Amino acid sequence: MAHASGHASAHTADLLSPENIQLPAFALGFRNIALGIAVVGLGAGAAIGYTESFGTTSAHFWRAYLIAFLFGLTMCLGGLFFVVIQHLVRAGWSVAVRRPAEALAANLRWYWILFIPFAVLWFMGKANVLWLWADMESMRANSQAEYDIVIQKVAFLNPTFFWIRALVYFAIWAGLASFYVGNSVKQDESGDITLTEKMQKWAGPAMILFGLSTTFAAFDWIMSLSPAWFSTMFGVYFFCGCATAGYASMIIITLRLQQLGLLKGIVSSEHRQDLGKLLFAFGMVFWAYIGFSQYMLIWYANIPEETGWFLARQVGGWGLFSFALLFGHFVIPFLGLISKWPKRFPPTLVVAAVWMLCFHYVDLYWLIMPEIPHDLASFDTYAAMADKYSDTPTHFANPVNFVLVFGVIAIVAAQTISTLSRVALVPKRDPRLADSLRFENI
Amino acid sequence: MTAVVTNTTQPLATANAKATRLHGLLAEFETPGDLMHAAEKVRDAGYRWWDCHSPFPVHGLDAAMGIKRTILPVLVFGAGATGTFTALGLQAFTNSFSETIWAGVWVTGYPFLISGKPAMSLPAFIPVIFELTILFSALSAVSLMFLFNGLPQLYHPLFKSNRFRRASNDRFFIVIEARDPKFLPKKTEEFLKTLDPIAVEAVED
Repeated sequence: MAHASGHASAHTADLLSPENIQLPAFALGFRNIALGIAVVGLGAGAAIGYTESFGTTSAHFWRAYLIAFLFGLTMCLGGLFFVVIQHLVRAGWSVAVRRPAEALAANLRWYWILFIPFAVLWFMGKANVLWLWADMESMRANSQAEYDIVIQKVAFLNPTFFWIRALVYFAIWAGLASFYVGNSVKQDESGDITLTEKMQKWAGPAMILFGLSTTFAAFDWIMSLSPAWFSTMFGVYFFCGCATAGYASMIIITLRLQQLGLLKGIVSSEHRQDLGKLLFAFGMVFWAYIGFSQYMLIWYANIPEETGWFLARQVGGWGLFSFALLFGHFVIPFLGLISKWPKRFPPTLVVAAVWMLCFHYVDLYWLIMPEIPHDLASFDTYAAMADKYSDTPTHFANPVNFVLVFGVIAIVAAQTISTLSRVALVPKRDPRLADSLRFENI
Repeated sequence: MTAVVTNTTQPLATANAKATRLHGLLAEFETPGDLMHAAEKVRDAGYRWWDCHSPFPVHGLDAAMGIKRTILPVLVFGAGATGTFTALGLQAFTNSFSETIWAGVWVTGYPFLISGKPAMSLPAFIPVIFELTILFSALSAVSLMFLFNGLPQLYHPLFKSNRFRRASNDRFFIVIEARDPKFLPKKTEEFLKTLDPIAVEAVED
């Protein structure tokens, strides 16, 4: 056996050679391209929003930016979630694929910058184009019924507390990302096993903080767009989006690195299969489970103050949109990724990951863009309401949606490439790396 | 390495000449690595009725033995889909107002009219669809696993071997069964001895 293990460690040294685990210099070219796309995308988005071309109203522009902002945020939060939970359960298999997740999570240290436009919106005194509760007087003028409900929530939904909470969320995320990415990178140099112990020790509290902050961020930034409406399940639904975007991004990064000839002999089809399983479990099964659980309770109880939110998503163009989401986010990828080989075969896995990112965007669009009609109480029948709103457009094809989201994705991509070019592509001295290299699904 | 020993009470070549029938030949190995190498050779020799026994799962042994992938997942998927459509059909049928012939009798459903919902309300059906899909999948997975493995099996000739008791502790075994078309008592024994076992033993039915 002495012979066998001696052979294994020589082999491991080969695997961890710089050519295999360092991003080559030309990768910075990709970063520069991404930065260019970011500038063009966000610039074009701002120009469309400012000139109101393509019929872009300021409400549509700000919602489109909120979607783009949350799209990038969910990618990074998904990475953070993966890193923390691996330490929480002391997983061995995942060490080989943890660094891409850490590189995504590292973006949370600067991601608050992309929230600044909302502060500008607030200073311009126009925050109520997004969050109606930001101006209670104009809400009273629009709809007394909505005002009567929302006025009872102002202890929570008021600008001061909203901004304090936003600062707390960003502080938690930046803090957790710094702690986990920083210690992991430090271990690359020192190989100090106590760093792993420290990260494991804090993984429990970190997970609780992560859960609370993402839940309340979802309440604040998405659910409060319809301030009279509420769903206790909403935070979990948003978390599902984080996991979907995070796993899909990790798969794309890992497979792209392998396509560049890196991580050879480190990331195997066994790791790919497990990433595919996680995408399948969180992005498709859990998402459908949570989404349906939220829908069914509201549908069954049939209470007007709850059903309005879903009514807004089934009238006019939104009806087809909701069905597209159901099939695109669940039914089709569920059947596509259910067996073993599509998860192990890189081309099918990357198609699944890109597909899920697209439908994650559709999901955010579906969450954020529809507006609940204010006159729901005035209709005698559902049919009369559906008839009046039968030509509600989704505006999904408006280019401002795409330039903004590609702009944000490009910034995240550029920063992720920068992070990866400064560190090894695997936590090379993690005590469980050998476990991970040997990992096999049974 | 220990010298090859044979079961002293039972000379190998004459085992099947007695009243009892030979079940197969048991070869004992010291390490999982030895087992893997031996399994590759048994596979390449073209034996079909044989098996490996180990105290713990050995990674790569399936490939070394040349075991094909099980079709169990495909069957479980079919069972799950059956559950989906059974649940859907059951609820559609029991919620129908029209007469349907069922087991030779004309029957109507017993629709629940709750909170103004239509009788055919898919959202209300989904929990049952979900549960029956899981139930059919799980039951068929477990029962087909039993079936494919020939379980439950209350008796196995290998349990008569004292040597084999260490299969649940620290030794690794290959058994080539007598019913294998390529099995010839003497030749198979010679073959097993070329695989560097600690011991080769005949096991009776």
